[in-house]
Amino acid sequence: MTLRGLLRAWNGFFFAEQSPTPIALFRIFYGGLVTATLILLRPDWLSWYGVHGWVTLPTASNLEPGARLNLFSIIPRNDACIEAFFWVSLGSAILLTVGLLTRLNSLLVFLCLTSIQQRNLYITHGGDTFLRLAGFFLIFAPAGAAFSLDRLIRIWRRKEPAHIQPRSPWAQRMIQLQLALLYFVSFLLKIRGAPWLQGTALFYVYHLDELRRFPLPSWFFHPVVLKLGSWSALVVEFFLGVLTWVKEFRYFLLALGVLFHLWLDYSLNIPLFQWDILSAYVLFVEPADIARSWNWIKHPLAERSAKQA
Amino acid sequence: MLTTGGSHAQTVPRTPPRESAKRKVSRLQLLKYSMVNVFLVFHILAIACWCMPVDSPLILVGKNLIRPYFLWSGLFQSWDMFAPIPKGANTYIEAIVIYKDGSRSKWTFPRMEQLGLTEKLFKERYRKFADNLVREDADALLPDAARYIARMKSGPGNQVRTVILIQKWSLIVPRADGFYVPEPWDQHVLIGYGVQSEDLK
Repeated sequence: MTLRGLLRAWNGFFFAEQSPTPIALFRIFYGGLVTATLILLRPDWLSWYGVHGWVTLPTASNLEPGARLNLFSIIPRNDACIEAFFWVSLGSAILLTVGLLTRLNSLLVFLCLTSIQQRNLYITHGGDTFLRLAGFFLIFAPAGAAFSLDRLIRIWRRKEPAHIQPRSPWAQRMIQLQLALLYFVSFLLKIRGAPWLQGTALFYVYHLDELRRFPLPSWFFHPVVLKLGSWSALVVEFFLGVLTWVKEFRYFLLALGVLFHLWLDYSLNIPLFQWDILSAYVLFVEPADIARSWNWIKHPLAERSAKQA
Repeated sequence: MLTTGGSHAQTVPRTPPRESAKRKVSRLQLLKYSMVNVFLVFHILAIACWCMPVDSPLILVGKNLIRPYFLWSGLFQSWDMFAPIPKGANTYIEAIVIYKDGSRSKWTFPRMEQLGLTEKLFKERYRKFADNLVREDADALLPDAARYIARMKSGPGNQVRTVILIQKWSLIVPRADGFYVPEPWDQHVLIGYGVQSEDLK
């Protein structure tokens, strides 16, 4: 490949304008997941983030030193303000979901989410981390350019045409890269451990009482099945990390990934983790296919309502 | 004169206003495009450098250079889910609470296996927290946890004097035929904390 070809490929990948429907759909899923995360944290909010919580701010700062983007260290140290912080976070997550003041709310959601995690890193899982990272790049994305109240207002004010305008997808590509990297690095870290190579890793995982969620069939616990499961997880993570970029394999791998995460969600109790990851799958769907799917859903509905009329 | 000069300026402009505006826009676009490219290249390299489990001195240097920015901005990340070695024991943490009058009570961190489906959703963070409490590099969390339990268990008439946090564990060991039989529970003390009166405020 020539340097000119490389530059053309780079520009095509990051800057060739396309419909913003994938990133807008992601914004809706993302906002919904941040909202759900906050609702699940609500009953123990002050226990985790309060002045006299399980981990105090000075302890958190001592354990994780250095300058950090953490609004908890700026707001007054009293529980009323920390409660207010919850409602601001929740409000901005809901507004982001519906796409009102999208850019401002994507920034607010990122700031709140990062602060929540920086304040107490000891209760976060990989799904939270992914939300934080995706939130960073979402700030720069045209996430309100479709399926948003912002757009409806702009159309109503005649500032935007009725059809969705194409946009540069570079921020969307960064979230896609982040997702692919997540799988690939996870694969690399796993193959460093003997239990994964020997195929015994899932034996340990599925005998952790604390992670059990729904009942599993007894055949699943057969050593051979667990061995095959361990190796399959490695293969799936590798393929999802590397081959999702290849158009011909993409939808097959995404379907495989959906099954993989749904199985994990059924069998392991790590609330929202799998959905946090799955939310970004929509970014790999071609805008034309999203439009086609929407028409496929809309057409029978329109037909049915016409028949009723 | 002023009027003439003004009309002259209007009729024979040095550069047509539309063209100069266009040029300004394209210059702005070029600047934006260049800045976005710098942002992309930097972040792709930095994230790859941070994540890749490669023991290369170059990667280490890169990691150290970007560390302050990553920690500040919240771009730090690790994807070691059940890796490289999954947790090999069932564990939970129990607190023995000793009151000023000499009486004792027990309190256990919420154990997911004993909770209903909905409760598990809300309380799962306790599982993660308990896992982190026993990490050697997070020893500093233990006094805070002991103080929290002391505040929770203290009553107006009977204050907590000591909190002892104990980790209980049962190893997960495959039998010779590859199947699982639960091992007996073992325990060790994580911290014995003498509660001060200011801890209860």
